[in-house]
Amino acid sequence: MDLRSSVEIITEWDIVAARQLGRNEAKKAGFGTVDQARITTAISELARNIYLYAGKGKIEIERVTDNGKFGIKIIASDEGPGIPDLRKVMEDGFSTSGGLGAGMPGVKRLMDEFKVVSETGAGTTITTTKWLH
Amino acid sequence: MNARIPILKLNEVLIVSIQWELDDQTAIQFQEDLLNKMHKTAALGVVIDLTPIDFIDSFIAKVLGDVINMTGLMGAKVVITGIQPAVAITLIELGIRLSNVMTALDLENGLDKLYKELEA
Amino acid sequence: MNKIMVEGINKNMDEIIERWIRRMKEEKGERFFHFMPDHLVEKTSREFAELMTSNITDSSAANTERINDFTEKVVRFGWAIKFVNKAIDNFSDVVFEFLEEQEIINEGNLRSFNTIFRNWINPLRESIIDAYSTEWERTVSLQKIALQELSASLIPVFDKISVMPLVGTIDTERAKLIMENLLEGVVSQRAEVVLLDITGVPVVDTMVAHHIIQAAEAVRLVGAKCMLVGIRPEIAQTIVALGINLHEFTTKSTLQRGMQAALGMTNRAIVEVEAN
Repeated sequence: MDLRSSVEIITEWDIVAARQLGRNEAKKAGFGTVDQARITTAISELARNIYLYAGKGKIEIERVTDNGKFGIKIIASDEGPGIPDLRKVMEDGFSTSGGLGAGMPGVKRLMDEFKVVSETGAGTTITTTKWLH
Repeated sequence: MNARIPILKLNEVLIVSIQWELDDQTAIQFQEDLLNKMHKTAALGVVIDLTPIDFIDSFIAKVLGDVINMTGLMGAKVVITGIQPAVAITLIELGIRLSNVMTALDLENGLDKLYKELEA
Repeated sequence: MNKIMVEGINKNMDEIIERWIRRMKEEKGERFFHFMPDHLVEKTSREFAELMTSNITDSSAANTERINDFTEKVVRFGWAIKFVNKAIDNFSDVVFEFLEEQEIINEGNLRSFNTIFRNWINPLRESIIDAYSTEWERTVSLQKIALQELSASLIPVFDKISVMPLVGTIDTERAKLIMENLLEGVVSQRAEVVLLDITGVPVVDTMVAHHIIQAAEAVRLVGAKCMLVGIRPEIAQTIVALGINLHEFTTKSTLQRGMQAALGMTNRAIVEVEAN
């Protein structure tokens, strides 16, 4: 069984493809409807960030286990401009694209684990995990 | 693939049922279509039913919020109906409250609410 | 060398056990022996001693099967882990001293006996700790499930009106569960007003209030109204003292008052009828 699948984000339609993949994976992994919605929404936010800010990147979805726990890990990576001020991006209400600014802190609230690695000029990788409770 | 969302007119009210997952283009197109139809029909209220929708991200929420504000500017009332529990929870966790809109459990309740509001 | 040791122990088992019991009784864990009839103390101690001795082996690699057997049986004694630890400690001390007295251990072989003791005692102790912590984890997770089962069902009281009584401390995980039950219930019961009764919630701090506010907002999104009832005086005081803003939704002191208000919101009232 392939435990890892990915979607390249190049056009707006890839956002839809990424979240559909996420929804299916979440369903297969046994998440309930609320967690399915959380995971799908998180992927949508991450994919949109790639599309808007980096232009191009990919979303990877992976089944993970840790100490008897099962979960889904989402890795959103791009080689875009990077995030100059990480702390600011993680503040509620901050947005540079005219969206609601719910993006990053929102994703963090939807998921259980959240990590950003960003280097100006080299790109951003966001890793976030949801565990089955 | 870019199908438009149908907007129905019933007396002075417009009824919209969103039946499938919204992509960005469809959402923006819908915003435009709804405002045009409002203008053309001079409708006093709109009910938007979201029962089949299983997730809303911040972009779609923004489009919806904008639609609600714009409709308000045009002097009409909006009721959103059928938001699923999972959708409500993710919206709240995202920090989106849609605080300026009326809500109802389903289309029927939504129409009741809207008519009452229009009578008042 | 191990053979000499085991022989030495077995030949003088009674003496060793007696010394060990005496020492255990001096410990604070004495209470344990205190409640046990003498013949049982004797029997259990002998069993323990035999289990201990059976784990002295020649190789440095411990015999996993025997250790598991030891752990399983010792856990079944029902001793506290501290007591078991002490028991193992004391047993190895007593044996060491005894072998010294018998001159089986002497200056010359002290070092190699040290190794034997270490290889004997450490795996036992590790295995015991492992078994106890597994047991605790199991208990904790079972209790967690039990607590979750306790929490939060939405009860349809009248047409369009449902009540959710909240009991006990609300943490983040429970809050999520409560929110899900609440919303699923609102939709399936077609409730237009839900009353959240917090009479049974001991403390409402900023975090709990935050969860309640979130739940109320989510209820509004699915198309119903949420009312907070059962606000005791001390809860009202803490809410105001903490500066928590609950202005945006209706609150009532008791479930009765809340129910009256809910009936009013749905254009109904309870009226008394004359008895015939």
